[in-house]
Parts: sequence; C-alpha cells; structure tokens
Amino acid sequence: MHLPFRSKKVLRSLATVAVVGMAALGLAACSNGDSQAKAGSATSGTVNWWGWTPTNSDEAKEFIAAFNKKYPKITVKFKLIGISDYQATMRPALASNGGPDVFDLQPGAYVQQFGSYAEDLAPTAKDALGADWKSKISKIAVNGLTAKGKLAALPIGSSYAGSLWVNNDLFSKYNLKPPTTLDEWKQVCKTFQQNNVGCFAQGAAQEGFDQDTLQAISNSVEPGYWTKASKGEKKWDDPVIVKTLSIWKELFTSGIMQEGALGAQQYPDINNAFLTGKYAMVMMGSWYTQYATQDAMTQAIGAAGVSGAKPFPILPIQFPDVANKGNTSEMFGDADYGLAVASKSKNRAAAETFVKWMATSKAGQQVVADRLDTTATLNGISPDFNKIKFVDPALQSGPVNDYLKKTASIDEPRFALLNADIENAFLAAAQSVAGGSATPEKAAQTLQQAAEAAKAANG
Amino acid sequence: MTSTERVRSTTTFASGGGQNGRPRRGLRLTAPGLPWILPALILSVGLIYYCIGYTGFLSTLNWDGASPERESVGLRNYSSIAVDPVFWKAITHTVVFFIVTFAVQTILGLVFATLMHSKIKLGVIYKVIVFVPVVLAPAIMAPVFRQLFAANGQFNWVLEHLGLGALAQPWIGQESTALPVIMVITIWQWTGLTFVLYYAAMSQIDQSLIEAARIDGAGNLRVLASIIWPGVRGTTVALGILGAIGALKTFDVPWLVTIAGPNNATQFLGTYIYQMTIQRAHVGYGAALSIILLVVALVMAIVLQAAARERKEVR
Amino acid sequence: MLFEVRSRWSKVALQIIATLLVLPFLFPLIVMVQGSFAGAGWGNYADVLGVPGFFRFFLNSAIIAAGVIVLVYAVTMLAAYGFSKLHIRFREVYFWMLLACLTLPEVVLLTPLFTTTQAVGLFDTYWAVILPLAALQVPFAVLLTRNFINGLPDEMFEAARVDGANSFRGFVYLVLPLTRPIAAAVLIFTLIGAWNAYLMPLVFLQSQDMQTITLVPQFFIGEFSNDQTKILASAVLTAIPEVVAYLCLQRLFERGLSAGAIK
Repeated sequence: MHLPFRSKKVLRSLATVAVVGMAALGLAACSNGDSQAKAGSATSGTVNWWGWTPTNSDEAKEFIAAFNKKYPKITVKFKLIGISDYQATMRPALASNGGPDVFDLQPGAYVQQFGSYAEDLAPTAKDALGADWKSKISKIAVNGLTAKGKLAALPIGSSYAGSLWVNNDLFSKYNLKPPTTLDEWKQVCKTFQQNNVGCFAQGAAQEGFDQDTLQAISNSVEPGYWTKASKGEKKWDDPVIVKTLSIWKELFTSGIMQEGALGAQQYPDINNAFLTGKYAMVMMGSWYTQYATQDAMTQAIGAAGVSGAKPFPILPIQFPDVANKGNTSEMFGDADYGLAVASKSKNRAAAETFVKWMATSKAGQQVVADRLDTTATLNGISPDFNKIKFVDPALQSGPVNDYLKKTASIDEPRFALLNADIENAFLAAAQSVAGGSATPEKAAQTLQQAAEAAKAANG
Repeated sequence: MTSTERVRSTTTFASGGGQNGRPRRGLRLTAPGLPWILPALILSVGLIYYCIGYTGFLSTLNWDGASPERESVGLRNYSSIAVDPVFWKAITHTVVFFIVTFAVQTILGLVFATLMHSKIKLGVIYKVIVFVPVVLAPAIMAPVFRQLFAANGQFNWVLEHLGLGALAQPWIGQESTALPVIMVITIWQWTGLTFVLYYAAMSQIDQSLIEAARIDGAGNLRVLASIIWPGVRGTTVALGILGAIGALKTFDVPWLVTIAGPNNATQFLGTYIYQMTIQRAHVGYGAALSIILLVVALVMAIVLQAAARERKEVR
Repeated sequence: MLFEVRSRWSKVALQIIATLLVLPFLFPLIVMVQGSFAGAGWGNYADVLGVPGFFRFFLNSAIIAAGVIVLVYAVTMLAAYGFSKLHIRFREVYFWMLLACLTLPEVVLLTPLFTTTQAVGLFDTYWAVILPLAALQVPFAVLLTRNFINGLPDEMFEAARVDGANSFRGFVYLVLPLTRPIAAAVLIFTLIGAWNAYLMPLVFLQSQDMQTITLVPQFFIGEFSNDQTKILASAVLTAIPEVVAYLCLQRLFERGLSAGAIK
C-alpha cells in the first residue's frame, strides 16, 4: 500500500494529533457557550420545545394551535421524548449549545438536575400577572419548581395522588361498596377473588407508584408525617413509618395486592389490566380523570388490545383508613410539569412568550384544563364540563367535580421535597418489605440511613 | 512506509494458517500492516477514546453533571465502590449471567447450526425463527415478556397445560426467580447471533475431514465433538469475548423488564451505571463504575484469548 | 452435510429435535404478533403507517444504515486483513485498544460524543449518527473477520505474492471474495445495530424530519398512556427489512460451504 509518508513515526504522530485534536475540540466545546445570546424577538421566531409531556403529540399540537391563534408568527416545534429517556437525553442536550429553547421540568429530581440550565421566570410571571402573581398561581406548584431561590419553570398543570379509582360496574355487579377501612378492603377483595375477578393491582416494580401508596398509608397513620420526614424534620425510622411499612406488607399478605405485583409496571401492564376490566381498583390520581370520559376511555380500551369494548364508568374514592385511627388520608401532589426557558436559548423572548401564554393566560390554562390529565395551575380555571362527555354523566359528574374541587386545597407535596437518592431508598424499602427480605423495622432503619446519606450527597 | 514487501523465503508451510493468526515458523507475510488498520483505529479510537478519557476524568469528581460546582475527590469514588454491596451484587449477577447464557447459547447455537447444515425440511423457516429475536428491540419486547412471565401470564398457562402447574409462580415478581427470567430472555434474544456465526464458520470446515472420519466409522456425535467443535474454535473464542463484554455492559433487558429489581435482584453493572449516572445524577460515581467495567472487560478478553492460545499449543 | 442421517427414522428424529428446539423461540414471537393485531387489528398497522413522516423516517434509517454499513465494511476488511496476515509491531496492543471501544455503555458515551459532534459541526446531520455507530460496530466486526481470515491458509497469499501481485491487489481479488460468508454476517449485524439505534438518533438528530424509524413507537407512548398494540405493530414493521436482509444474505453462507471454499 503506497502512502505519501516516509516513516511509520510520522503516521503515528499524525494519528495522535488527530485524537488529541478531537479531544481538544471537545473540551473547548465543553466550556460555556455564549450565555449572553441575543434574546430575539418576542412575537416571532421558532421555539424548540422538548418534553415528555403533553402526553402525546396530538395534545401538543392542540396547545400550539391554540397558542398560534394569539401569536401566529411564533412557530413552536414540539419534540416528544419518552419520560424513561428524558434524563439521558436532556443531560447532553442542555450541556451543549444545541439544546431546546423550552423544556419540561418536574418538581424534585429534575429541577435539581437541570434547573441550573433554566432562567429565572419570576420576572416573566410578574410581567404577566402583576406583583401579586404568587397569589394567582397554585402555591404548591410554584414551590415545587423553585430551587435555590429561582423559579426554574412556570407550572402548567398539577397532578395529585393518594386516591383510588374504582370500576363502578364491577362493584355494583357484586353489590359491593368501595372500602373505607382496611378490613372492608380485605372483605371486598375476598368477594372479588371468589368470583375470579382481580381486586386491586399496582405496578409495584416502579418507585413512583409505591411511593404514592406509602405516602397515602402514612397519611392515614399520622397525617403530614411523611412531608415532615421528607423535609428532614422527622425521622424515617420512627414507629409511624414502621407502621406504614407493616400496613404496606399487609396489603401483600392479605391478598389485596395482586400476585406478582413486584414485577408489574403501572403503564402499560396495570393500566391495561384495569381498563379491560380485569381489576376493580387501582391507585391512580387526578390525572386519571381523563379516563372518566367517553372518548378517552374508548380509545384506551382499544389501545389495551380489546376490540369493540364498551367503556365503563370509573369513580375516584378516598384512600381507605388503613390505620384504623379515624384519620382522613389526604391527597398530595405538586406540579405535574412546568415549562422552563433555557438560558442559552437564542430565542429567549419568543420562548418566554410561549411559556407565559401556557402558564398564565386564561386561554392557555383553559386548554390545559380541558384535557383533564392535569389540573390547571392558574387559580380560577376549571375544566369546561359542557364540552366534556362522561361515560355516565349522572353517576360520575358529581363525584368527579367534587374530587377536582378538593385538589385546590391540597398542601402536601409529592415529589418536590425529594431527590433521586431517597426515591431509590423508598423503592428498596417497599420492595424488601413486600418481598420478605426485610422486616418493617429493619427497612425503616435502612431508609433513615439512606436518607441521611442522600442529604449529605445532595446538599 | 514503502510499497516494497519483503518476502522471506520459507522452508515449510504449515497446513492452514494458525488459528491464532500467528503462522507457524517460517512463513510470514511481512508487508507492513499499520496503514491497513489505521482507518479502523482513527475511526473507533479517535471517536471513542475521547469518551474514555472524559469518563476517566469524571471518575475523579463528585459532580451531578450540570451544576457549575465540581468537587475533585481523587480516587474516593473507587474506594466507595469497593465497599458498595449493590456493586458486588451486580458483579455476582454478571458472572452467573455470563456463564449460564454463554454456555446455553453456545450449545444451542452450535446444535442449530449443525442441524441447519444437515438435511432438514423447511430449514429456512427455522432459521428465520431463531434469527428474528436478534432483530427485535428489547424496549418493545419488555412488556411482552412481563406479560408472559406474570403470575397469570402465558408461561404459567403453558406449565399448567403441561401438567406442571405446581411450578407456576410470579416469575418476575420475586427475587429468587427474577434473574433466571432475565437469563432466559437474553438467551432467547441472542442465540440467533451465535447460530449465524457458527453457521458461517462451519462453512469453512473442510468437508474431506468429515468424510474421512465417517469412513473411519465415526458417528454423528463424534464428528461434532472432534471435528466441528475444534473447527469453530476461533468463533467460540470471539463469542466468548463478546459475551463477556456484553454481560458486563448488559442493560436493556434487566432494566426494561424488571428495572434491576425486585430489590436489586437483577442489578447488573450496566444497569447500575445507568442508575447512578442518569437517574441519580452521581456522574462521578457512574464514571468510576464505567472505568472499572472497561478494565474488567479488557482483562477478561485478554485472559480468554490467552487461554484459547495455550490450549491450542498444549494439544 | 454435517449430520448424516441414514434411516428414515433418524430423519424424522432430527426434524423433531429441531422443531422442539425452535418452539421456545417461536412462542414470544406469536404473543407479540397477536398483540399487534389486538384491538384495532390491521388498523394498528394503518395507524403506524399513518404516523406523519413515517416514510421519511424509514428513509432516514435506510440512509444511516447504508452509511454505517459501507463505512464499517471498508474499514473492517482493511483492518482485519492487516491484523490477521500482515506484520504490525505491537499488533495485539492495537487490537486491545480497538476492543476497548466496545466496553463503554452507551449512556456514558452520550455526553462526550455530543460535545464532540457539536464542536466538529456535525450536530443534526446524518454523520453525527453514522460516525459513532460505525465506530462502535468496527471492533465487533474486526474481531469476527480477523478470526475468519486467520482460518484462510497463508499459502494462498504467498502464492499470489510470488505471482507478482502486490498486497492490495491480493486483498481485493483474494480476501474480499473469500470472506463473503463472514462479510454477510458482519453486514447483517451492522445493519441491525444501525437500524435499531434509538438513543443516538434521539439525542443527535434535532429536526423532526431527520428522525429514524425507531422513534415511531414514541408517538404511541405518553405520560399516562401506552398503546401496546400500535407499538408492537411498529416493531413488526421495523423488523421486516432486517429479516428480508437476512433471508437474502444467508444464502451466502451456504454458497461458501458448497463451493468447497479454499480449494
């Protein structure tokens, strides 16, 4: 092979230079890009929006179309990134100069990990709603998206957990009433099992949903303890948490939790199973309201693989008083997501216009609310039920409306106070207790140690 | 680099080239080989080594990958890893996983390849069935497998219909059986690779050797053991190296099917790195784990290659 | 023929063994295809094909796969021949260096690759995906091909040399034809690697009209929903080109056998 070089050495050094050169370029790119980029025009331009939600591209299109009615000159391009890939994708994208202009943020881990790339949106909120803007938006949503004194994202919609949803047809078929205590729950499940119907199902392989159940149980044992422990004001190896874990274990041993729950995931496994009538109860929150409607449920049943199935009415119920202390297990939640504006964005002004419209304008928030998968964060906006068709309006409209109204007064957060490390510890506690490899006492101790380590690691 | 080649005159030729690439004494093509391998080196080494270097640098930090505050901690990440029980669990799982999946895949792949080289009707259909799993993305098959191995899933249904209903259990819902399920899924997915490679390698085996053995009265199994198995040695070693690296890196199946659970029962080095780097934003720790993975993988590859060479010389 | 079967009974036995072995592989495939027809039946496939830009995605995947295959084939053949038959000082060291590229998990590569592609100005182009994918496939391909070429006897190359052909000629007229079986295998697995690539196209390709076919299932996954039926349908559609490629290429393995290769 004939090459223009005379010696191997030259070739080798050229190769080295190539490698070093690439490395140097890479390192150079690592250093901060131009953070004083021009903000661009506020009423025209292209805005790149990346997020795991709106839950599908159709919903995003609807939002953008409504936005374009007011601001036709701003083109918004939405890129859907599945929530399971979100962190892996955003990490390099935000670190570089090629990232999005607008991106989704969720309270808790995401705000901690990516909040530093977002600009403070408090001035934008003030600009839109006036100096008392804080009183016009859901407080808990704003708090969840604030980190280190900066409002990293404007909340778009909230979601609340701690409730159960039941298949009303199955309950009436066997003349059962939704349970209000642990014993009633066991009874109901026994009846269902005798009739070969699943009682309750949970995707216990996943951290988020186990955490919801644990928090709901804990709220029944001692209201508000979970939040205090999350803040570090109380300990996780306290008898309250030990009792919580014992009740959690009882769900498994008493046959309430479905067999093999530790291997199931909420979406699609459990969701499909519930919507196809295989189980009578699931632990879902306010986002499940979307399936109370005719259209959404019919579509979801088709997606679950059943052709021509009839939708059935679902109803939200309070989490039962599993601790038998007469406490009401209150719901908890925070912003489902907020929109952040990347500080490196070259179209910051247009991006701010978009985010402002989505979060603080009546028109924007109404479109969000009418989708029913999140509740509006702007005070005073509620879904327009004249436009929404329930499966069984007589049965559902009262309870669902009450349910949504209640969410306005919820003051306990869901993810906002947590970080990824402690969430990992929750999952370990839940699974080790449910699987029998740890007693509730031991698991609570491990949880406390992990919480202390997490605090040390995350500051 | 000149274009003249020096051909050493030789005395004897070996029969065939050595399996390890180093020809028997005497014969040597001494044309300079460096320019030939340079494109590969520039492409792969050039692109990836920056990543390796970057990861090595990261492993000395305590950083979340985003905030401007980085703390340099030297080798502290490595010492933390040494006492991390989850890490050792992951290593144990990886070793067991590698041994079981490699053994089963090798046997199955070899048997299939041999069968397909013999007179079988509808061979094409068999080949396609074994091959299709290689092509399917784990992300898509994961819910299917969760469904299959669920307590009320199809696998238990089959067991009951075979009269083995007593064995029916929630396979991925309990710590004791989650790892075997992951291994089964992996074998399902990758046996096709082993099969295709053995099939290609067998095409190189000298037919006359087999005919001679048959004339000497050797049965099928003897032919398999003494001619075919040694004949595909190189492929077996290559698959061993790839299998070791793959086992260390394995991420898709244990993460998507069981999320490394329940309770770390299916935690692997690959999943642990993902958890630490992406989910929990301990980028330095994850980088240190990656460097350990790299070192272990290279050591395994070198050991496997050396062991293969040694056995050949002893024979 | 490797297994000899004399009696009719043995033929049947062999067929039964083969069938029993293949059944466990078939079972999940059946479940999957069943799932893809559940609900709306063929409507699922219609919906997948109706995803806006579907054929554009298909084309992008094809372009990227073609680029990766060509690059990997060229680089691999050169390198495998060099490693196998030619003289290189510290040959094994270079080989281990190459192999080390295989060991890093993909997620770890994302951030540094991202900054590199950006710095070199390749972000949001096909090259941003083709180059890293090729770089990751090359060590695997070289490992296998080198091994195959090792099995080719040196006499052949010696003979060609003596006849006056220089190294490169020998390469083109000897090595390339003889390595068809392994080249076919490498081609298939490179195709699979490139066609199924998900994370890299997701991160490195910004504009919607450069996305690949692996992104299609994402259209059916939302935060609160997960349409398995259509995801499975898109999986089947994505798999078809790969299976077709395999069917076309697997004949090359057989040709190697019947031609009595070396002779």
